[in-house]
Amino acid sequence: MGGKTRRTARKRTAKKVTVVCRCEEVTEDEIRRAIREGHQTLEQIKRKLRTGMGHCQGRGCLRIIAQMVEEETGFPASEQKLPTSRPPLKPLPLDLLARYDGE
Amino acid sequence: MASRTADTVIVGGGIIGAATGYYLAKSGHKVVLLERSFPCSGATGRCIGGIRAQFTHDLSIRVMIESIRLFSELNDELGETVHWHQGGYLFLAFDEPRKQAFLEAIKVQRNYGLDVEFISSAECGQIVPGLNREGLLGGAYCPTDGQADPFHVTYGYLAGIKRLGGEVRVDTEVTGINTRDSKVVSVLTSKGDEFFCPNVLNAAGAWSDEICRMAGIEVPIAPDRHESLVTEAVERLFDPMLVDYRSDGCYFVQHIGTGHFVGCYTPVPLVPGRNMDATDEFITEMPRRMVRLVPKLGQVKVLRQWAGSYCMTPDGSPICGRTPVEGLYISSGMSGHGFMFGPALGKLMAELIACGKPSIPLDQFAPDREFGKAEAMK
Ligand SMILES: Cc1cc2nc3c(=O)[nH]c(=O)nc-3n(C[C@H](O)[C@H](O)[C@H](O)COP(=O)(O)OP(=O)(O)OC[C@H]3O[C@@H](n4cnc5c(N)ncnc54)[C@H](O)[C@@H]3O)c2cc1C
Repeated sequence: MGGKTRRTARKRTAKKVTVVCRCEEVTEDEIRRAIREGHQTLEQIKRKLRTGMGHCQGRGCLRIIAQMVEEETGFPASEQKLPTSRPPLKPLPLDLLARYDGE
Repeated sequence: MASRTADTVIVGGGIIGAATGYYLAKSGHKVVLLERSFPCSGATGRCIGGIRAQFTHDLSIRVMIESIRLFSELNDELGETVHWHQGGYLFLAFDEPRKQAFLEAIKVQRNYGLDVEFISSAECGQIVPGLNREGLLGGAYCPTDGQADPFHVTYGYLAGIKRLGGEVRVDTEVTGINTRDSKVVSVLTSKGDEFFCPNVLNAAGAWSDEICRMAGIEVPIAPDRHESLVTEAVERLFDPMLVDYRSDGCYFVQHIGTGHFVGCYTPVPLVPGRNMDATDEFITEMPRRMVRLVPKLGQVKVLRQWAGSYCMTPDGSPICGRTPVEGLYISSGMSGHGFMFGPALGKLMAELIACGKPSIPLDQFAPDREFGKAEAMK
């Protein structure tokens, strides 16, 4: 019986919380709230919530967030400016970068 | 063209504009803050969040002791979690002259009641496990220094301005300042608005010389480029900001809220100008310097790099106070320390603007001072 209650509870939270940026664990709710508070570009949302700043550098979430901005503000996702992507494009260890000699 | 009124118009939505605007609004001023792009788009959003009272200039020490008091109350003041953490600052001495300079500075700092001391190389190793102590003579350590999140602090202040009845306008560039008889009359914006106001605060950071020129005055600031990087989040390794002043040194800290390491160095020679391009040189040189200091960081991965402007003055201390144009104030030239100075200079400048007298006199930061001896703990 206890097990059943737990499962239902878990199911309910799972339904409510959709994680959009998985690297930084930012939820759909948090993003929509930020947009409504006036953070209406991908760059501003990134700076408020760290979306796209984790391991994958936004490859997983930026398009979804752009879509959410379109839904909330009407500004088409296709016309939104993506935040500046800064090298290295793929996370590299300090050791490896330290040994790099310009080749 | 719409015309409006305000008690004080603030130019710039970085930490300086936001904090000063907040304390002004709190004292009853009608504040309008104008930001060309978005909040934190200037230096504030590019800084690494370090906060310390270890300076050599008397006034910097006093202002920073006040700022640290304000940071420690900021969560309650703003109703926002600002990730203030008192992890300390550890300045490393690898040669005798540096050690002597730190000992001199510590004497002055202790006069103001700061809990700072010179600790041995072995003690440095206890505070920073894994520190490479080769050639290390010890370090100046102040455990009450710390860190906070620049975005949360700035957004918290801006939200406070709005809560207190002020206005924050983004995407709004200040394009002109009208004066009459050397007195501020109004501020013009790119949106075609004109704000009539007795006071204007120039908090435009590395662009504050342009704002001054709109009112016909010059200010001796010189922007230069500083680069920075951030690593992936890892388990907590050590608490303090590490500062290595050698010409090939660097400084970095682990952010307590997230576990990321962030750090920078001051390039020799400096790179003047407002160029904000990130370079290949930095992304290889900075890891070298970090790994030399703490070899076990070698496996930690770098996520991202960026650059921003330091806004330097001839003596490395801020420029804050009245200008020759009545009603035009400036708080700029933060020389790489504007985030940490933000809360206290915000409160003090608000006192100057609202009642003519700050509770800590800012004369030594006045725009018309003689620029003399430079701050040694830059
Ligand atoms: C890599 C790096 C690391 C740093 N680390 C630290 C640190 O650890 N601790 C610390 O205390 N400091 C640090 N700093 C310094 C700190 O970031 C700055 O001193 C501080 O952010 C300055 O704040 P500000 O409000 O004066 O300027 P800014 O944040 O630059 O704000 C000025 C604003 O004015 C706006 N503006 C300009 N012109 C106009 C106009 N005409 N109309 C309207 N708006 C305009 C700009 O868009 C900008 O947003 C660092 C800086 C860099 C670059």
